[in-house]
Amino acid sequence: MAEASIQPLTVTLKVNGRDYTVTVEPRWTLADVLRHQLGLTGTHVGCEQGVCGACTVLVDGEPARSCLMFAVQMEGHEIVTIEGLTPEAGLSPLQEAFHRHHALQCGFCTPGMLVTATALLNQGKPLTEETVREALSGNLCRCTGYQFIVDAVMDAQGGK
Amino acid sequence: MQQAMRPQMMGARVSRVEDQRLLTAQARFMDDIQVPGMLEIAFVRSPHAAAEIVSIDTSRAAQVPGVHKVMTFDDCPYWLWMRGVFKVGQPALAHGEVYYVGQPVVAVVAENRYIAEDAAELVEVVYRPKEPVLDMREAIAERPRRVHPEAENVFFHREYQTPGFEEAFAQAPHHLSETFSLSRQTAVTLEPRGTAAMVDPATGRLTVYASTQAPHRVRLDLATFMDIPETQIRVITPEVGGGFGMKAATYPEDVVVVQAARTLRRPVKWISDRMESLLSDVHGRDDIHDVEVAFDDTGKIIAIRDHLMADGGAFIPVPFSGAVGETSLAAMVLTGPYDIPHLAYTIDCTFSNKTPLGAYRGVWGPVASFIQEGIVDRVARYLKMDPAEVRRRNMIRDEQFPYKNAAGMVYDRGSYLESFERALDMIGYADFRARQKALRQQGRYLGIGISCFVEPSAMASSEAGSVGYESCSLRMEPSGRVIAALGLGPTGQGHETTMAQLIADQIGVKLEDVIVLHGDTDSAPMGGGTGGSRSATIGGGAALVAGRQLREKLAQVAAHLLEAAPEDIVLEDGKAWVSGVPERSLAIRDIARAAYLDVKRMPGGMPVGLEVTARYLPPRPITFSNGCHIAEVEVDIRTGVARVTRYVVVNDCGRLINPTIVEGQILGGVAQGVGSAILERLHYDENGQLTTTTLLDYLLPEATDVPRVQMAHIETPSESEGGIKGMGEGSLIASPAAIAGAIADALEPFGGLVDRLPVQPSDVLAMVGRAAS
Repeated sequence: MAEASIQPLTVTLKVNGRDYTVTVEPRWTLADVLRHQLGLTGTHVGCEQGVCGACTVLVDGEPARSCLMFAVQMEGHEIVTIEGLTPEAGLSPLQEAFHRHHALQCGFCTPGMLVTATALLNQGKPLTEETVREALSGNLCRCTGYQFIVDAVMDAQGGK
Repeated sequence: MQQAMRPQMMGARVSRVEDQRLLTAQARFMDDIQVPGMLEIAFVRSPHAAAEIVSIDTSRAAQVPGVHKVMTFDDCPYWLWMRGVFKVGQPALAHGEVYYVGQPVVAVVAENRYIAEDAAELVEVVYRPKEPVLDMREAIAERPRRVHPEAENVFFHREYQTPGFEEAFAQAPHHLSETFSLSRQTAVTLEPRGTAAMVDPATGRLTVYASTQAPHRVRLDLATFMDIPETQIRVITPEVGGGFGMKAATYPEDVVVVQAARTLRRPVKWISDRMESLLSDVHGRDDIHDVEVAFDDTGKIIAIRDHLMADGGAFIPVPFSGAVGETSLAAMVLTGPYDIPHLAYTIDCTFSNKTPLGAYRGVWGPVASFIQEGIVDRVARYLKMDPAEVRRRNMIRDEQFPYKNAAGMVYDRGSYLESFERALDMIGYADFRARQKALRQQGRYLGIGISCFVEPSAMASSEAGSVGYESCSLRMEPSGRVIAALGLGPTGQGHETTMAQLIADQIGVKLEDVIVLHGDTDSAPMGGGTGGSRSATIGGGAALVAGRQLREKLAQVAAHLLEAAPEDIVLEDGKAWVSGVPERSLAIRDIARAAYLDVKRMPGGMPVGLEVTARYLPPRPITFSNGCHIAEVEVDIRTGVARVTRYVVVNDCGRLINPTIVEGQILGGVAQGVGSAILERLHYDENGQLTTTTLLDYLLPEATDVPRVQMAHIETPSESEGGIKGMGEGSLIASPAAIAGAIADALEPFGGLVDRLPVQPSDVLAMVGRAAS
């Protein structure tokens, strides 16, 4: 196992609209490659068990756990991270809503929350508190008790 | 002085200055600290609850390409030990024996974590397993053996009773007894623990990045344990992704990381993975209470007797034993907000072969509330009285403050009855019973649980290994902007905003002109960090005192420049003027300019510059916040699932600095209370294996588990600076008891009463099943 040679592979990842050609070991997770190879540290790693949702990114528009995917699987897919959802200056309407509603405390789960909420808002369906809670139920937050996050997402619906 | 009475920022719902960097992914958390040449550590941890180490063979691991060092105790011969207080300490890496599953045994330092983990698998440790000590009551009786041969299992014992207890207890007309237990839990910060260390080659000084609540404490502990002058250590806390007490300890891994960096002269980092977190972050709770209560026909509670036991795990975390904290402090507030004249208690804290027990948010409070509210509900049910009425009859009255409880704790003024009555109104208690009755006839089981709480906050007599005071340095720069440095260690509480609010009011500058620094021992004055709900009261007090001192300096200079008396100077909106003569004014930045760049304009004899450092120690050893939580639950008696459907909180934490931030704290605490009440349980099997090592096994509340919470505030000022009381823990102090009480109320037709936390579906089904059989 450890002695066995691990052949690195070269892949091209499309992240936030840019192509990155990187050489990775097949076992490196997408989360690790985003963070350590591409320097996109906004994607956070909270459990590596696929539960907490802190590492959520969009893959072809759908929220996905970057800790449960290998970077080598991602060739040909469009990946969007929190960096890609952040405008060059200022805040997006969703980020503004999070700020206005005090929807973050320590901020560690926040990027994952924003990514998941973006996917929800992109569906363009009318939201109820119940559907928002359901959509966010795969993202754990230990600080806020979720209420202000729910408020922010519902408020952002208008601005998005 | 006049100015402090009309604050503009204090009490305002200011949006946080921290948010921008966190929302835009620009914040630097522990794992975002990356320095060229940085190595990473993976630990080999004990797979046994108790075993002798026969041999450790690191040779194959050391040969893996990319491995720089494989460390055992001999390479890191340090102990985390409060010598003189406890008989045993924990070696940074296991020394001859292992005492709990997850204990660090070997550290592998490699180019990256993948390589380090590969090599860690090749470390061969031969163990000779011993019989583990796992049962709390047995351990207290020294069975099956001592955990540490050199120390009794019971490492803390205390007995207390009020004069006349036995007589009062015996003479009471009614008695009930119950055993309550609280399962092991842990904080589960979304950001796991982590540490990085590097030596500055020029000065030889160590820079330690630590994901901690108490940077000065980590510096002190590293200096003490490793015999390094503290002046050679700089501790920096990056953004910290949650703490909840768990990150108030100094851990073995911190010592190992520092030693690796010192030995290899390379930057070294360790980031915990989630399995390691669940195994090795300090655990909390794990208490048993054997309780007896004596009361009269009217529901008036006369006396409580409690044998408090806690399983402290294998070692005492530094600097705070969760077992001692949860028991000795819970005993001090067992009577909660009720006027109960008699109390007797015995405390036993024992070692076991489990993970060390440390602080988890609320520490003593959630334990005491669960017991105290459980007692009240039992009295009510026994006497067939309304549980709200029993609370009303026992509640401490306004005229009794300051109130000394049966344990000798002095409560400052609060809004005990008022918060309770208001919460009853908010939940619609008067109409609830009819609704409950109607729904029961349809086979739906609703319940309501009331939790009236006291929240001991801002311990000036030191808690969690902290200090009683907090410090604040203020430096007005020549531009008129202010740098504030405090010894706090925020983990999401928003101190950069709240402290700036307090300071801006004092010196009359804009909020954005006050920059709050924390978490760097080179820039911050010695302070106690964040924990024990101390930051707003003690830290805020230091900010207010420092702000006032700086204002006095500004007024002196302004008075000289404006040819007026200092007491006539008003500082506001970035300007100083003579009271009643607004045209005689100058900008605060002009005062600052004079103080640094044009110093001949300064008043004679006044020191150059505008800097102060203040430390604040509150006048009372503790200030008590209070309030009332009421939960409504619906229990599905077929599945055993309890769902919290409605929730109200009336909270009184004195003067509010920022109501929005206070509400955020409350909501987070209620959610953690949902976890404590129905979800979270660390489970050890009969061999001492922790079986809940993923977040699929250790369940945290999700957005769909947590109710919408309706909140109201009452402000009864404390005697501390600004009238502030602490409030970081009250919502978790009150909420488990509220939810447990609601489940018991829902299951009243089955005779159900809750005696353990969490109440999982199997517990509910057992309660329903018992009634049926």
